[in-house]
Amino acid sequence: MGAIDLADIVFYILAIITLASAILALEAKEIVYGALALALSLLGVAGFFILLDATFLAMFQITVYVGAIAVLIIFTVMLVRREKWVEKEGVNRVAGIFVTLLVALGMGLVVLQSNIGQRVASKEAASFTQIGVQILSLYWPVIIILSLVLSAAVIGAIALAKLDRG
Amino acid sequence: MTQIRSFSDFLIRVIKIVAVLAIIGGIFVVATSFLQIMFGMSELPLPISPSDLITNPSALISLLTGLMDTDFFRISVFPGFTFVALYGAIAGLWERKLLAKMQMRVGPLYAGKVEGVLQPIADVLKLLFKELITPKGADRFLFGLVPVLTVVISTAAIAVIPVSEHWVIAQSDFGVLVIFAVLGFFPITVLITAWSSNSKFPFIGGLRALHQMVAYEIPLILSTLVAVMYSGSLNLINIVNAQSTYWFILFAPVSAIVFFICGLAEMERSPYDLPEAESELASGWLAEYSGMNFGLILGIAVYIKVYIFSALFTIFFLGGWLGPNFLPPEFWFILKTAIVTTMILLPRGVLPRSKIDVLLRQGWARFLLLAIVNIFIAIVLIQAGVIVPGAV
Repeated sequence: MGAIDLADIVFYILAIITLASAILALEAKEIVYGALALALSLLGVAGFFILLDATFLAMFQITVYVGAIAVLIIFTVMLVRREKWVEKEGVNRVAGIFVTLLVALGMGLVVLQSNIGQRVASKEAASFTQIGVQILSLYWPVIIILSLVLSAAVIGAIALAKLDRG
Repeated sequence: MTQIRSFSDFLIRVIKIVAVLAIIGGIFVVATSFLQIMFGMSELPLPISPSDLITNPSALISLLTGLMDTDFFRISVFPGFTFVALYGAIAGLWERKLLAKMQMRVGPLYAGKVEGVLQPIADVLKLLFKELITPKGADRFLFGLVPVLTVVISTAAIAVIPVSEHWVIAQSDFGVLVIFAVLGFFPITVLITAWSSNSKFPFIGGLRALHQMVAYEIPLILSTLVAVMYSGSLNLINIVNAQSTYWFILFAPVSAIVFFICGLAEMERSPYDLPEAESELASGWLAEYSGMNFGLILGIAVYIKVYIFSALFTIFFLGGWLGPNFLPPEFWFILKTAIVTTMILLPRGVLPRSKIDVLLRQGWARFLLLAIVNIFIAIVLIQAGVIVPGAV
């Protein structure tokens, strides 16, 4: 096994935080708590990105997911009228959890049996200047399509807002 | 525990705590000196052994300078929390005196012998002794969590702000991105505050604050892109060092103006203080906070944000800590930051408040356009060879 270093401890703490808040996001009685727990689990994912030497990606994960998407989700959830969220009585909870654990165990064993643990990244992590150069030279269709999708979304939002008012 | 009923009780309790700590420290010193003499142990994990300290006090100086180089000192004292909190307290007093002079008044006068300089201390003591009221039906966990969260997030952003090349807590190659990632947390805190207060005025105020902050985040980030383009790096220290010949405000004046105004909107200061409108919304999204909860949000966190934006403006556009050599660079940084802070505090006494629809339209349409205009100018200047990224 070798010595347990700080990266392992951080990984386990982050894993516990991410999984616990993801479970809380589904199971919380108070739905705003669930939305906040979702934001926390997205933060945990950003932590994983930092552990994998992708700090650039982690910062964008925080800015986009936690700063924008989680805000929108909380905002929407807050404006929904709070009727009682009724839990269906016939659903067998324990069986569901058991099946989930079995599936997760199976997938985990498949991944562990492969030689994915022996692969070592041969190059160092890409810096953001390299990412920028690649985006503008090799992957330029992606940028064009993304900008078209963004324009379509903005135009759609404005059209819907105008329809609502007029 | 006895009740604290007056200020003298408070003082007596503080003296007791200090006395207990001093006694514990004295026992520790005596015990370690004893152990050294009795067992000849010279391997205690201390840089200076306590008995040497008593006989040779000048060795303390090297210990202190060694301690000043540690991360803990940086986080807690100099470019870190204590410095920023003191800056915030002084900025609070300065704001009140400045506005008073502009309005032909005197401002705080009685706390402290000279022109009310102890007013921030008096304010904090008053707030500490007030009752913390939680509204009925409010969400107690979130209601109590939010003031702490606001201060924590405000303080987290100062981790990458350098006061000079040597004095920075965490030198990061993505300093600009880290700052904007942390600033993106503020809309969430405002929203939770608004919701957990369980009352109408804070809810409306919180939604307005959310709209305003989200609208002005994009021009803010775009206006800093010019500084990143001119210096070729996202590292805040490199951005300052690239301004060694000319400050960036000469080549990006429009971006500087956009950054300043969007900063005013993010900090919810006049003329964009609609969310905390005192006369309109009964103090907006903070209405239900009293006592130290209020002091934490409106006192500490707001002035920490003022420091952050002033420091960022200085770093991006005014050349950071670069200045003539006869004074240390930290002094130039603090001087420039103080001037920018004064300019941030001034509009409160001058300008009327913007309406919410004017505010939002300005944020989404006008300032976005202005930021993009300056990006085009920057691209033209770089392509024409007037400015080489990395050294202006």
